[in-house]
Formats: sequence, C-alpha cells, structure tokens
Amino acid sequence: MKARKVKGLDSDTPLADNARRIVQTRLDEVYRFVPRALDPARVDELHDMRIAAKRLRYVLEVTAHCFGPYADTARKRTKELQDVIGEIHDCDVLAPRVDALLSELRSADAQAILQRAGGADDLEPRLATRGPNATRYRGLQALAAWLQARRALLHDRFLELWSRWGRDAVKARLEYALEEHPAVS
Amino acid sequence: MARARDVEGLDPHTPFARAAARAVSVRAEELFEHSADVLDTQDIERVHDMRVATRRLRAVLEIFAPCFPADQHRPVLKDVKRLADALGARRDPDVQLEALDRLAAVVRKVEGPGLEAFAARLRAEQEAGNETLAAALQEARTGALAERLRALVAAAQRSADEAEAQADEDATALDGDRADTGTGKPGDGDIRVADEEPVTA
Repeated sequence: MKARKVKGLDSDTPLADNARRIVQTRLDEVYRFVPRALDPARVDELHDMRIAAKRLRYVLEVTAHCFGPYADTARKRTKELQDVIGEIHDCDVLAPRVDALLSELRSADAQAILQRAGGADDLEPRLATRGPNATRYRGLQALAAWLQARRALLHDRFLELWSRWGRDAVKARLEYALEEHPAVS
Repeated sequence: MARARDVEGLDPHTPFARAAARAVSVRAEELFEHSADVLDTQDIERVHDMRVATRRLRAVLEIFAPCFPADQHRPVLKDVKRLADALGARRDPDVQLEALDRLAAVVRKVEGPGLEAFAARLRAEQEAGNETLAAALQEARTGALAERLRALVAAAQRSADEAEAQADEDATALDGDRADTGTGKPGDGDIRVADEEPVTA
C-alpha cells in the first residue's frame, strides 16, 4: 500500500508543525480500512491496515515527544495493533503454502500409484496407502488446522484490541494531543 | 527486538531539516550496528533486529523526505528498501521454521514426517534468503550506502544552517529597520518626529 502524500511540509519550519500533519495523515490511513478489515475474510484490507499502523508507529517513535504523554501511549497501542495483525498475516502467508504442499504431494502420489498399477483395468485398493508421501499428510493436515485455529484466535484478539481503541478513544485523544500543542512557528 | 534509540536533541521547535539530519543519523547508525554476524542462521534475532532497523531508517527517510535533495534521497531510499526486502527474504523462513520447530516438539510421532517435509522447504528458502541477503549487504558496501546516508545527513544539516543564518539575517535587518524608524512602541516614532525642526517653506 502506497503511503498517502502529506501536503504542506516545509523543511524550514519546526518539527512539531510538520509532525502534526504527518501523524494526522497516518492516523487517518489506519482508519481508512475500517470496517472492511474487521471482516475475517478481508485479508488484503487487514494487511494494508497493518502497514498503515506500522507507518503511524514509526512516525510517533520520532515525534511523540512533541505532543505530550498521550502520543507515546498511542505509539504503544499502535504497536500492539501492528503486532497482532502481523501474527495474523504470518498465518495468512503460511496456510496457503501448507495447502499447496499437500496438493503437490497428493498429485505426486496419484502419479506414483498410477505407475504402480501398470496397465491394469482398475486400481487395487491396497495401492491407496502406497504413495511415497502417504506418511506426510497427517502432519501437514495438523499444521493446516493449527494455523486456521490460530488465525481465528488472533483475529478475535485483533477485534478486541480494536474495540478497546474505540472504548479508549485513541483516535480522538491523539488528535486532541496534536491540537493541544499549538503551532510553534 | 531492539528498542529504537532516542533521537537526542529534538524538541518541537527544532527545525524540520535539523530534526531530519539527527533522526537519519541515529537510525543509520542503528542499521550498521545490527549488521554484524547477520548471516549467522543460528541466531535469527540478528536478522530481525537489522530488519527492524532498516524499517526505522526507511520510515525517517520517508517522513523527512522534503529535507533532502531529491536526486540523492531517491536512490538511497531505494537501496534501503532493497536491503529491507533481502532481510525479509531471510527473516520470513526464520520465523516460519521457529514456529514449526515449536509445533514439532509437541506433536505425535505420526505427524512428524509431514512437518519435516514442510520444514525442508523452509530450510531451502532460508538458505536462499541468506544468499540474497549476503548479496544485498555486499551491494550496500560497494554502493557506499553508509557514505551516501552521511551525505544526506550533511545536506539536511547545511539546509538547516542556511535557513537559520537567513532567519538571523532577517531578524538583524528587522532590528535595523526598527532602529531607523523607532522601536514601533506607541509614541516612540512620534516623539522623534516632534523633536525635529519643523519643515519650513
């Protein structure tokens, strides 16, 4: 996801005046993906929200001190959000790869079983377990199930974190912190 | 994960260009500090720390972009992104293997071969990622990334110095104008005018 351009930055003006514009833009970007990213099936939106949270976190790392203590609290909250979405992303990357390997092994086994059958009119049932990868399915299926369950659990944790963002009014409080410290130029 | 080092000497009034010079200087130092022994696959935290350091450096290069000469900034940012991608190519299988090892330690024996089949793929990717990373590190050295980052810092520093010198000059000129025409305080200029000899025809 390409970062939105921040308008009005000026290298000759004070850090706080520029930082305010950047933080506000990056904060808005995090919210751009809500409510779509809250749907467990919207993998891409959640991935984009993670990148937006990462950008907000890093800008707060160097500028939070301009806006009082709440800006640092917002940085910590953003990191929590980024971390949990990052773990969900890891599951989203891994799960299709496990499925792909399972499918690949199954195809290889089918090919091997077919060869063993020779020119028979039909397949012997006992050949079903003679594929070279027959012992590998269980582990991969267990891994796939574990990833799916972990993803669901992490997504619930993400929803809980996000609802805490709402309850604790993170956006409003950070925006207040930005406004509370008036322009210094 | 290594905590970000504080960028000392920044306050809300610090000119943006000076803040840019300080922030990039600190984040670049962090990056090169974490580059030691990063190719060691036995200690995966080194890659993680260096990857986070590249992200932080990339972030400050993007945040403070208007403070740097575009023709120097653009290629440096591109090279930092390339380095970050190479670190990602090593880090992703590192993390996946770690998760798989944790799982393999507790599953039943019958599930072992499947996990091992997947782990074998990840180990191959880890090795390939390490080669990609080694090439990217070599490229950063031959491309003098550290020197170019220092040049960016120096350019932002110069820009801040010039802006401050200009501001001082403007303030001096303003003081001079006030001295010529009075301080601007109510009545000051008027008194001087009143003390002058009336212009007679």
